[in-house]
Amino acid sequence: MTIELQRPVDGQIVFDDPENLSFRVDRRAYTDDDVAAQEITKIFDRCWLYVGHESEVPELGSYVSRDVGGRPVVMARGSDGVIRVLANSCPHRGALICSQSTGQARSFRCPYHDWTFSNQGDLVGVPLPDGYGPGFRKSDFGLARHRSDSYRGFVFATFDPEQPLTLTEHLAGATEYLDLIADQSEVGMEVIQGAQLHGARANWKLMMENSVDIYHFRALHKRYVSYIESLGTMAPRRRGGFARALGRGHGANELVPAAARPLAYWTPMFPPEVRSRMEATAARFVERFGAERAQRITGANRALMIFPNLMIIDAIGITIRKIDPVSAGQMSITSVALAPQDEDPDIRELRKSHYLTFLGPAGFATPDDIEIIESCQRGYLNRTLRHSDLSRGMAKEVPETTDELPAREFWRQWDRLMHDDDREEGHHLTRRAERQGGQRR
Amino acid sequence: MTTDTMNTEPAVDETAQMRLWHRVSQFLFREARLLDEWRLREWYDEMLTDDIRYLVPATDVRGEPADALGLIDDNAARLRQRIEQILNGEVWCENPRSRTNRMISNVEIVADRGTHLDVAANVVVYRFGHGRSDCYVGKFRLELAVEGESFRVRRRLVVLDHESLYEHGKLSIIL
Ligand code: FES
Ligand SMILES: [Fe+2]
Repeated sequence: MTIELQRPVDGQIVFDDPENLSFRVDRRAYTDDDVAAQEITKIFDRCWLYVGHESEVPELGSYVSRDVGGRPVVMARGSDGVIRVLANSCPHRGALICSQSTGQARSFRCPYHDWTFSNQGDLVGVPLPDGYGPGFRKSDFGLARHRSDSYRGFVFATFDPEQPLTLTEHLAGATEYLDLIADQSEVGMEVIQGAQLHGARANWKLMMENSVDIYHFRALHKRYVSYIESLGTMAPRRRGGFARALGRGHGANELVPAAARPLAYWTPMFPPEVRSRMEATAARFVERFGAERAQRITGANRALMIFPNLMIIDAIGITIRKIDPVSAGQMSITSVALAPQDEDPDIRELRKSHYLTFLGPAGFATPDDIEIIESCQRGYLNRTLRHSDLSRGMAKEVPETTDELPAREFWRQWDRLMHDDDREEGHHLTRRAERQGGQRR
Repeated sequence: MTTDTMNTEPAVDETAQMRLWHRVSQFLFREARLLDEWRLREWYDEMLTDDIRYLVPATDVRGEPADALGLIDDNAARLRQRIEQILNGEVWCENPRSRTNRMISNVEIVADRGTHLDVAANVVVYRFGHGRSDCYVGKFRLELAVEGESFRVRRRLVVLDHESLYEHGKLSIIL
């Protein structure tokens, strides 16, 4: 198996040809087991990966356990207040030291032989210690602490001790969009209890592409469009806005809302009672941030793609969607809702209620996204067609949200990492570079 | 079993309870059949109250915390919308319509409050479509409004037993 992992993927996968306004991806990228295996070692073992939000561990000793990049970890706020990302595997012989998905604890006790670890990861208790030799030191057997950092409440970790980038460097232009989300509350944002845990029988990258693709909105989501129109909100036919590549594989769309935004953008789909309050909130944002930035925060929808596997969609609600590969043809999806901590209870109810109409495995939109990417995956079985096309908007000075620029940014970073080219020049791909073809390997 | 009221009540009440249980069961079986036969408008018009609430909580939250986000929280208008979307072919993942088979069991009248009943039941829904077969396993927690000899559902809470919908990916049918 190790030998297999070392074998380079045969031939070129990403065909990036800006001169001819052509961008194609070999469909083996979605189906090939070798590609899937190499993504783990070249991308998930090395990149900064999203772990969770600080609000999920609000108290001293709060923790959550989950898989990140295929590895079980615990994100814990120690008794010292510091948030750490710890390996959820006993240094003794490997058992999970935490089997609850969430909780609060002073210490973690491994159920196998009762080794006990503080909530900071230190080994504090070993039964029958006289069985070990004089050289045995507890300090050598603490839980592995992964390198982690947070940006405005979003916690990331990397499993690569040699990862040369700080988290902020890795996030590159995406910080601007994280700011637009984190600034939606003066006291802080919080994850709402209740995660939507689902998956798809499709390659994980198809969900990344789908999540940042506005081109399909009117075609695939007709029923959602008719639903919001039935509530008196007209989804504009041309949504305007713009798409951006944010460097290091990240991308974003920003556009006119198709529906209300519970923060401070009222449309008739919300009850009239909350209108003046929402308008007052919008006015407060103008005071705090000035008209232009306030308008961006309260009056625009955005989809932020953070390479490799995080999507944050800020629209009818804010969803944090973590997308994990399981195999070439299977992924798991974890979605939670993010909201201002200081939101009025009735507006929080509206947020949750309308969030569910669009988002999640039983919403009026996401099930069709799941089905269509599974359909793509099945379509790839016809190997006569070798490539997918992602060239929309390559000719444009300012690509629109219905263009495929963010997906191209994703693939360019993917290609660099898969070929170990990421530690050279050229992370920040600009429009000019796209036109001049400055990036081709 | 000493607290089992059915054993200590006079026989005449036992018969009445059995009749009620039978009517409730028949009601639930009819509901399952209408849903399996995609007679969703009939189900909506004839078997639900105007203030129906249809809820499916998230799989990682046990119980029903009020402030948690779920998977489905439909009032009558939104449920009607869900039905129309499925029937008019706009729902791409239910077009062609999947085949379903609902098994209802362990029907229990938890409380008889005169004007309405609290009913518990277990439900398994098999779904086949687009090359997939899925199985949803859950518990009904229903409030049935009593209407003469029959009922209407006022509250339809379906608590899924799955740890996640990882296998299913989505929930595009009515449970
Ligand atoms: S494996 Fe954890 S104490 Fe032995
Ligand atoms: Fe979509």
